[in-house]
Amino acid sequence: MEGRSYQRFPTVKIRELKDDYAKFELHDTDASMANSLRRVMIAEVPTIAIDLVEIEVNSSVLNDEFIAHRLGLIPLTSGRAMSMRFSRDCDACDGDGQCEYCSVEFHLRAKCLSDQTLDVTSRDLFSSDPSVVSVDFAESSDNPDNRGIIIVKLRRGQELRLRAIARKGIGKDHAKWSPAATVTFMYEPEFYINEDMMEKLTPEQKISVVESSPTKVFDIDAKTGQIIVVDPEAYTYDDEVIKTCELLKIPGLIEVHPKEDSFIFTVESTGAIKASQLVLNAIDILKQKLDAVRLSEDTVEADEQFLELGAHMRGG
Amino acid sequence: MNAPDRYERFVVPEGVKKVSYERDTKIINAASFTVEREDHTIGNILRMQLHRDPDVLFAGYKLPHPLQYKIIVRIHTTSQSSPMQAYNQAVNDLDKELDHLKNAFEAELAKHSREY
Repeated sequence: MEGRSYQRFPTVKIRELKDDYAKFELHDTDASMANSLRRVMIAEVPTIAIDLVEIEVNSSVLNDEFIAHRLGLIPLTSGRAMSMRFSRDCDACDGDGQCEYCSVEFHLRAKCLSDQTLDVTSRDLFSSDPSVVSVDFAESSDNPDNRGIIIVKLRRGQELRLRAIARKGIGKDHAKWSPAATVTFMYEPEFYINEDMMEKLTPEQKISVVESSPTKVFDIDAKTGQIIVVDPEAYTYDDEVIKTCELLKIPGLIEVHPKEDSFIFTVESTGAIKASQLVLNAIDILKQKLDAVRLSEDTVEADEQFLELGAHMRGG
Repeated sequence: MNAPDRYERFVVPEGVKKVSYERDTKIINAASFTVEREDHTIGNILRMQLHRDPDVLFAGYKLPHPLQYKIIVRIHTTSQSSPMQAYNQAVNDLDKELDHLKNAFEAELAKHSREY
């Protein structure tokens, strides 16, 4: 009985990689795995975000909860998040969620003293932990375009003073904890062009077929005059070419089939963690989730007793 | 006002088992597994992995209600196997697949960073 395995051996090919963007191919697995990875990246990879705000002074035009909400949405560098504790199961601080293992403290003090409007941005947030700071604080501070994320604007005499606690969380709890801006995958399309049918087409017909696709998938080869696929991934599964072929009384000229075991992933990160790290964390989290759903010892034992009991009943 | 707490969605309450198992009383080798605080993420990969096992005659999962944070996985196997065995096998295979995927991704990442 042991030794049977129906495991798959997926392969990966990275096409493009930047800090906050990744594009890769995933082969030899099925849609359920691709979709689970996508779901985990969006909703279950942990990050750090401001969760509790104590406002000392707020004479700005925005009310306290409005500002608290805006603070929550600021992405913070969350490289530490995977090894941090959730404040709900942190035993060092008895669940008040204010110790170094499960939280990071921020301070903000701003007062407008001039006649010009003062922008209070994420750069005015001072962290107690240098590894957890606002995302734009961490990246190129010499960039003049990088002025941080505006929290509120103050006029002369207005003041904002507050203390904020950032905690670890997941996107399932609140979207502010989601490290993903977008995660999508598409099936890799496969095109079949019937060459015998194409031979019989007039150049005008070929042009109308090529132009029927709203995205530039097909073109006409300058030398041979044949319809060729120039960019298969531009195809949005809109079926426009297939409909046009039917209209021109040439159904079956072009067929498109999605490859059931090949996916093209696009991952965009908010900057809280690198896109490549986001994928790796998602794999780890999914593994942890699978470990958690393993049957416990007592469940197995209870079933064995049930079987024995059944044997007794039948025997007796 | 009476909305459930957000953490209810993913924190297993005290005294509740993560996975409970119930044999079908009428059909031999059929059982339901109730998995607390899980959703389509786990349900769908488990179901698809179970379908790869030729001893599994039926495998399906349902999310009974969006506010009941649990899934029910139902498995029916041949006499060569048992629902519990098939379930364990599926979880182990998925775990190994993810190990493989992680290594593949890391290798590709190393290759990619060397090239640029």
